[in-house]
This record gives sequence, structure tokens and C-alpha cells, in this order.
Amino acid sequence: MVQKRQLPINERPSMPTVRLMLNPMRTAKQGVNVNIGKDGDEYKQITTTLLVHQDDMAALGVEDGAAVLVRTEHGEAEFICKTDKVPPGLIFVPYGPPTCQLMGGDTDGTGMPTSKGWDVDVIPCSELDR
Amino acid sequence: MGGKVTCTLGEVKNRADFIVYWGGNPAECHPRHFTKYTLMQKSKFLPRGRKDRTVVLVDIRETKSAKAADHFLQVRPGKDFELLTILRALIKDQKVSEEQVAETGLSLEVLKDLIEKMKAAKFGVMFFGMGLSMTRGKHMNAAALLTLAAEMNAFTKFVAMPMRGHGNVTGADVIMRWQTGYPFGISLNRGYPRYNPGEFSTVDVLVRGDTDCAFIIGADPGATMPKPAIDHLAKVPTIVLDPHVTHTSRLSRVHITTAPAGIAAPGTGYRMDEVPMPLKPALQSPYPSDEEVVRRIRETIALRPDWMTNQPQMIEAQI
Repeated sequence: MVQKRQLPINERPSMPTVRLMLNPMRTAKQGVNVNIGKDGDEYKQITTTLLVHQDDMAALGVEDGAAVLVRTEHGEAEFICKTDKVPPGLIFVPYGPPTCQLMGGDTDGTGMPTSKGWDVDVIPCSELDR
Repeated sequence: MGGKVTCTLGEVKNRADFIVYWGGNPAECHPRHFTKYTLMQKSKFLPRGRKDRTVVLVDIRETKSAKAADHFLQVRPGKDFELLTILRALIKDQKVSEEQVAETGLSLEVLKDLIEKMKAAKFGVMFFGMGLSMTRGKHMNAAALLTLAAEMNAFTKFVAMPMRGHGNVTGADVIMRWQTGYPFGISLNRGYPRYNPGEFSTVDVLVRGDTDCAFIIGADPGATMPKPAIDHLAKVPTIVLDPHVTHTSRLSRVHITTAPAGIAAPGTGYRMDEVPMPLKPALQSPYPSDEEVVRRIRETIALRPDWMTNQPQMIEAQI
């Protein structure tokens, strides 16, 4: 059994953190770029573009193009926000190396790690730089 | 729960007048599915094509596929199992409360209308994707959907089929099933196949650190698996066979470039309905095929039996 790590201790408790549900997904563009090459700028851009509802953007206090840090109990990765017509409270990003950083290794005995529906903490990078 | 009532995509094309996509986004992930099999094709029993078919999409968000569907049901995340179980109850006219239905994000009226349409269909098919099988509940969600499809056969013809991923993943499952009796998560270290997902499945073996070597053919776990599994691949000698230099190649000790299957190497690919399709290469490649590399490695090892003798768990059947 894999020991789950506790959430990283937030050193600055006043930092605005918004809890959302992250659902990694697939897109046609991502599929095309997997075959063109995963080192390309386009693949990197696709796999780091986070789709967020406008109310959640407001709660985070960020605008399109802002960098945010997404944390799970397993790891963290940086993404760029983009407003999209997704349901409020849910955020979406195409699968890729950044989502691997957030995925836990425990498969609950099924052989497949939980690949969608993660509860994540989202923190604007501008707050981290302060 | 168990088993799968299914058919081929040819039958879907010719007969399916009621199509459900559950937790999948074929408009993005399987762009030819609509045009070749489920929506646009005019066929023997559906001469008017799209006009003869009803399409339902069940998902947690309105994807591009919703535009192609007649009905879109937005289920609350993580409530697929509950919704499927409610549908199983409703088809048998069992009592379900409004509150139970409300938890799934839908209404009893919508579900009753759906069931009416399902029962009125001549040939129904349910396609399910990763939105169902990779969220909490995983195989139990898929089992609930397969059971619903099986139980619908008390009223009309109904089948189910998973929307498989890229490449030849169906082929890998089919061949392992044929050779060992199991589709994945198999250990051969006792000289006979043993099956136990969670123990012998790749992610678990890597995360626990059970393996001291990894041989990866045509996959990129370095860009798809959880970080603890990737970390272990970087620790042990990893050998990669791939047409591209991938994230896994970078953390491996050896990368062997191979010809892309179906483009520059022949072989057999399995469609998502498990129908084998011969692959004819259209181009020539300077690189060998995966099959040739594996065969040459095997032949080289066979010439050096002394490489295998001192390993306590090695037995003759493995060599």
C-alpha cells in the first residue's frame, strides 16, 4: 500500500487558495501533437492550458493568461488559465507531463490510478512571487 | 455483474437506432466514429442515416460532442454509478425518489423520458469512455453500465462497447487474453500466468519498486503515468522501443528507434470492437520494426543461456 503524503503545509496561510476539481481530458489538437513531437512549444502550451469558469477566475483574482500553481496531495505543477464554458467548480486540462506530477500512484487495487476528478488547491503564481 | 453484451461496429452502422455516449468525447477523441459508424452512415436498416438515429450524450460538461447529440444529460461529477443504478431500477419500474435522482444532477422526468426512448429503440448501443472508467469507482462504473445494457435486453436489443484509446491497446488486451487467459496485470515469474490487477499491473509494480528493469514497447509512460512510477523508471535500467524520442526515452538507458507500425511496418491492429485489421505499410523506413528488434533480442539471449542461470526465480519455461 502506498502511503499518501499529507498536503504540503502552506507557509503563508493568508494566501488566496481556491479548491476546485481538476479533470484531465483529451483533445484532438493534443492527439495530433503527440505524433508531431512532445518537445514542441504547441504540445507544451496545450498541456499547460487550464480551462476555468469565469466565476472561478474571479475567485482566484486572475485573468486569461495568468499562471497558477495547482496542488494535489501528491505534487504540484504550474498552468496557464483560460476562461471557458466549463461548469463552475470544475477545471480541465489535457493530459501531459504536468498532470503526471499531480497524479497519485495508488490504484486502489484496480491497476489504474485515478486519472480524473481530483480535488486540487489552486494558487495564483503572482501570490507566490510576493 | 460480469460479462459484456456487445457487437461489431458493422452492426452498429447497420442497425443501431439509439446511441448513448457516456463519459466520452468522440468529437475530439474519436473523430471518425460519428461519420463511419454511429451518426452519418446510411445503411441497410437505417436508410435515412442521421434522421433514423437518436443520440444521447452523458457527461459532466458540455463538450463538442454535445452539439452532435439529440439529448445531453449533464451528470454531477462522481455520480455515474448512482445514475446507472437508478436507471437499472427505473427500467424495472422500481421506486426511485426525486431526492435520489437530484443527487445525480438530473430530474426523474428526464430519466423516465430517456428510459421510454431506450425501450422504444430497435437496437441500442452504449459507448463508454474514460469519463466513466477512470473516475472514482472505475471498473465498478463500467460494470454498472454493462449490466444496464445486459438488463435492457429484457425489453429490446441493447449492447455496450468501450471507447478504446489510441494505437493498438485493444490488440494488446486481445492477444494477452488469447495467450494467457487474462487481458492485463499478468505475472509470468512462476512460469505460468497469474492475474491480479493492483499487484501485477504496471503502475503498481513500478510504484512499489518491484521491478529492477523495464522494457517499454510503443508507449510513453514518462508522459502518462503518475510521478512515483516515472521516478522508478528513471532509477532502473529502462529500454525503450519507439519511433519517436519520448519523455520515457530521456529517462531510459537505451532507446531503439523503430519503424512506426501501420505506416512503415506491417502488422495487425485491433479495432475497438476487437476486429483485427491487417496493416499494410505505405512508406519504407530505415529503422527495424518492433517485432524485429524483439525477435533479435530473444535470439541473442537464446545464444547465451549462462545469462539466465544464476537467477533464483528463473525457470526453464521463461527461457
